[in-house]
Amino acid sequence: MNFDVIRAYMSKEFKELLRSRLILIVYILPTMIIILFGYGIRMEVTNARTLIIDNDNSKISRDLAERFHHSKYFDTVTVNAMSESEALNRIKQAKTDILVIIPASFEKRLLHRQKSEIGVFIDGAFPVRASTMENYVKGVIYNMAKSLHIQPKSLITINNRNLFNQAMRDEDAIVPGLIGLILLVAPAILSALLIVKEKEEGTIFNFFSSPIKKSEFIIAKLLPPLILHSVNIFILFLWATWLFEVPFRGSFLLYWIAAQIYILISLGVGLLVSIIASTQIVAIVLTIIITIIPGFLYSGMLMPISSMSGESKIEAHIYPVMYFNHIVYDTFLIGQGLDSPKNQLYLTILLFYALFLIFLGAWLMKKEIS
Amino acid sequence: MADLEVRNVTVVHRKTVAIKNASLGASESEIVGFIGADGAGKSSLMHAIAGVRRFEGEISFDGVVFGSPKEAEKLKPSIGLMPQGIGLVLYKNLTVSEHLSFFSKIRNLKENSTLDAYRHRLLKMAGLERFTERQAGKLSGGMMQKLSLICTLIHRPKLLILDEPTTGVDPLSRRELWEILEEIRENEGTIILMSTAYMQEAEKMDRVYLFDSGSIIASGTADELKKTVKKYVYSPVPCESKRCICTDRYTYSLDSLKAQHKKPTLEALFFVNALRRNVEIPPIKVSIRESTEPIAPVVMEAKGLTKRFGSFVANDHIDMELRSAEILGLLGANGAGKTTFIKMLLGLYPIDEGELTLFGKPIKSAKDRRSLKTRIGYVSQRFSLYKDMTVRENLLYFANMHNIDTQKASRRMERYAHELGFESYMDSFPKELPLGINQRFSIAAALLHEPVVLFLDEPTSGVDAIARSQFWQMLRLLKKRWGIAILITTHYMSEAEYCDRIVLLKEGKKIVDDKVENLHKKHPKAENFEDIFLHYYERNNEF
Amino acid sequence: MRVFLALVTKELIGFLRSWGLVAVVLYSFTLDIYITGKGIEMQAKNIAIGYVDETGGGMSKKILSRLHAPEFQKPVPFMSTKELSKSIYDREIMVGLIFESDFEKNLEKRDRASVDILLDSIAATQSFQALQYLQNILFDYSKTDFPVELKIHKLFNQNANTSEFMAMAEMLSVITLLGVVLTAVVFVREKENGTWDIMLLMPIDPRLIILAKSFSQVLVIMGGVTIATGIVLFGVFDITINGSIAAFFLLSFFYAFTSAGIGLFVAAVSKNMLQVAQLSILIMMPLIFLSGAWTPIHAMHPLLQDLSLLSPLRYYIEGSESIFFRGTGFFDLWNYFAGVIILGSVLYFYGFRKIGRLF
Repeated sequence: MNFDVIRAYMSKEFKELLRSRLILIVYILPTMIIILFGYGIRMEVTNARTLIIDNDNSKISRDLAERFHHSKYFDTVTVNAMSESEALNRIKQAKTDILVIIPASFEKRLLHRQKSEIGVFIDGAFPVRASTMENYVKGVIYNMAKSLHIQPKSLITINNRNLFNQAMRDEDAIVPGLIGLILLVAPAILSALLIVKEKEEGTIFNFFSSPIKKSEFIIAKLLPPLILHSVNIFILFLWATWLFEVPFRGSFLLYWIAAQIYILISLGVGLLVSIIASTQIVAIVLTIIITIIPGFLYSGMLMPISSMSGESKIEAHIYPVMYFNHIVYDTFLIGQGLDSPKNQLYLTILLFYALFLIFLGAWLMKKEIS
Repeated sequence: MADLEVRNVTVVHRKTVAIKNASLGASESEIVGFIGADGAGKSSLMHAIAGVRRFEGEISFDGVVFGSPKEAEKLKPSIGLMPQGIGLVLYKNLTVSEHLSFFSKIRNLKENSTLDAYRHRLLKMAGLERFTERQAGKLSGGMMQKLSLICTLIHRPKLLILDEPTTGVDPLSRRELWEILEEIRENEGTIILMSTAYMQEAEKMDRVYLFDSGSIIASGTADELKKTVKKYVYSPVPCESKRCICTDRYTYSLDSLKAQHKKPTLEALFFVNALRRNVEIPPIKVSIRESTEPIAPVVMEAKGLTKRFGSFVANDHIDMELRSAEILGLLGANGAGKTTFIKMLLGLYPIDEGELTLFGKPIKSAKDRRSLKTRIGYVSQRFSLYKDMTVRENLLYFANMHNIDTQKASRRMERYAHELGFESYMDSFPKELPLGINQRFSIAAALLHEPVVLFLDEPTSGVDAIARSQFWQMLRLLKKRWGIAILITTHYMSEAEYCDRIVLLKEGKKIVDDKVENLHKKHPKAENFEDIFLHYYERNNEF
Repeated sequence: MRVFLALVTKELIGFLRSWGLVAVVLYSFTLDIYITGKGIEMQAKNIAIGYVDETGGGMSKKILSRLHAPEFQKPVPFMSTKELSKSIYDREIMVGLIFESDFEKNLEKRDRASVDILLDSIAATQSFQALQYLQNILFDYSKTDFPVELKIHKLFNQNANTSEFMAMAEMLSVITLLGVVLTAVVFVREKENGTWDIMLLMPIDPRLIILAKSFSQVLVIMGGVTIATGIVLFGVFDITINGSIAAFFLLSFFYAFTSAGIGLFVAAVSKNMLQVAQLSILIMMPLIFLSGAWTPIHAMHPLLQDLSLLSPLRYYIEGSESIFFRGTGFFDLWNYFAGVIILGSVLYFYGFRKIGRLF
């Protein structure tokens, strides 16, 4: 191993990255992704446009409308007369999300303990949002019922403790997962590009025809993305904790080590892509297809791994994504740290993946024209 | 003993045999030339010798025998390879001095005063001392090749392998390249393997190998080789049999002719070999244009045309006239502004200053050009045709673009295909065809609408001798039978002789504009046009 | 017209012969949409649940028996709260129920009892839904005579089926992505190979060339849309369309043109394929973000709401959702059509000026 050769190659890579301004992509893209997705994915519903048709116009019905009005979840408009079909049309035109119809003589029936029916129509075009809105509406109405002292005969109440994400914030749920996604995609693209660029432009001949060893070449090509993206570990951490205010309860050391290993895995993926691809555009497309889908599906961002079954559970265990995300969520929200045997195991598995992918790439790469 | 021996080397590339059973030898200080049409297997053999491509057979150099790239690894410190393609091994946004230090480091050379002095000498030889801080992507083609060469020389290789280092390079840079090579082999005893498309270069080599369709078919010194074909070369007389080819200057015939014998050049090898292999080289024909529209005597007139890129002046107040029935050669070193000038004439670059008149019509805006487009034909440096369409589809497409009636178009296509000799390739894709054929049907595409003026930007770069000779035959016929004006750029000075008039550009300025015979008269000592070119360029060697 | 056809045919031939591109397009319009529809499930399902039962059975068993598929996995018993919480900390169990020893007694004596629930609330949406499921189950279990009856209708998608929605959303993203990239590639490839210069020298209005080339890619996209709606949306996911399919295709057609216009813009400012890739990513992400695909526009910051007016995807997504799910009538869709067409026209105007120019 000749370190001077590696250093020479690396300093060339850095100069090229700086002069071609590719370095901007290295730092802009991860930040852009975390900001766009972090702000963009909102499962929580706020300001649902709610239309209340109050056909009763009594004290209780007005009180109910008030309750909707005071909730941050709803932006309400209350009207006293509007035909149901006209109101439904507003939903069709996507002008209204929720329609609540309070029947006439609602108060009277309620006081006489007669059943009365509140009609609720929800725009179900976005299903998760619809289910959430449904639950909010139920909540408001049950609360009203409680305050009217209409109690059930026997009641089992729930005494729940929300662990890890007490306020059930979307940011806490998504941002740590995004770090995993970015650290999988971005270093892979960069490392693949650095190698494929030389293939495409012909400068790869300098490697072929000189006495540089394959190992030296690979190290020289993978170290710059490793160094550059290692900075992103900290940048992303800052965005998560400072901008999105995600708590950090675990071991920073664990976060840092795991992220470094994860970048190595990503570099391994990039290395493998660079062996197949011969043009930069193919390298980008291939890397994105290989990394983004598992990066999303098995991140636990959208669906907890524990809820998976059958094939998808097996697939989740095959991709390295799941192991890293477990550790990231642990360091941010759970905080078991390195003491947990599961974290230790997962860290070992990640290390194994990194070594496996990089050695496989090194073995498959040939120092000759293919 | 730093001798090279290649024994029965076969290179197979994606199931096609690139070169079969090639054997050759070379010893210290020799320059060995590879010549042959493109696709003949020269590059593949060079890659095998440089240890960058898998092969069958055996190569020994400097006492080490190898049969695979892996085994060649220990020889790499003493081998230098410069693959085909202008500036291919350069990093476009690294500067000249960064290149030299990068190549020193990856070759693991000790930084000391000797290396420093050597680097300086190389820079000086290449005439790059004043450009050490310029990025490689901003150098001219000739400078890039010189830089590539000195980067390949930095570790003082004992075996230097150069794959067409001079293709697309102007005569001056070419001569400078050769000076470097001569010095290196004298001082270092380097063996140099080099492929070239310039036969004048091959003449200067110690030994030449002739490649054809994947094998070496002849070898020897240039004189020896020429001797073998001497008896088939005659002064130009018309041919009667299929065993005979006639060009402007020579007639080659396997059967003896009554004509006078003529001293052969290395080009003769190609023709004789083609005849021996019964390759049919149908004579080029050009029938008269279908259009009867008269052609104005002055097709294009430029006055003080200027183009600037930032502070750099690419074309500096150029005056030029192009007449009908004239072949005008636009010459100049790489980066002298030839392509820029053509693009300005065509309207692909805006004109910064000056007046342009096309077909008697002053050009002030894009609108003025619209109606003139049907009279212009253009072939760019890279024969730009669509790679995903067959020759026929390409031609039909261009016919449609010009709104030529389909029947008329296919009639014309058939005629061109027949006359220019690419009939049998009509349903192939461009990338499957040799460069010479690609070039011819690119011209056909540019001729479909029967233009009055033809702009050709380096149409012969990298094309082999036979195809080039046929190409010029075609141009002369076009001039004669169609009476059109042709503006052409080239780096082959032998081709300049075929032009009627020459315009020489240097650093964006016009320095010569005269008839070829007048130029020869002015420079009676010049053996060929290359000497005249160099004369003008050397007078004040500042660029 | 003949020139237009020749240009379109040429591009289509070129497309069909580059099998890599065909494969990517086919994959995107079929498998990719399928994977997203099937794979990304946002409704809480198959929740891993564990319990500690200190009551010795009875009531707790009855409650546990109500936790079943598809919402819950079979509840896993734990010996102690410590073990249960260990499993939750290791994220093997999402919800833990603890029935304390006095649970049954309290319920009998005082008609009041409470269940302790430990909830891994990292996946906020799913956790929230899991809690709602449990609340509903326990509420049903409690004997109530609650006088208000809620009649809830989730319009257009009564079962809140995410697959349909995700598949549909993914298809719209694929259209955007490919519309931009394919068109940009068509133009930049010509720039890279130097054929664009030749095209500009043809005696044809360059605007016609640009339109024809974009149109050819629009055709490719529309082919993909037909396959995707026919096979994946209607075939596999069995989506019912409440509005007019013709309106959807017409809107898609205009939208494909507009996204091709973005591709034209990308091609106009990039020199090579690599820049196309970089620019496409940089342009597309905010575009999708501002479209309301993930966050309803009215819930965004007011500044972003204004900016989102510039995202053609916004009009397309709202329009398509309206057609598919809300069944909005053709004439109520005019604003979506107008948005898509106006933005498209601006892009073409720029493209014409920037790359269709001869001096």
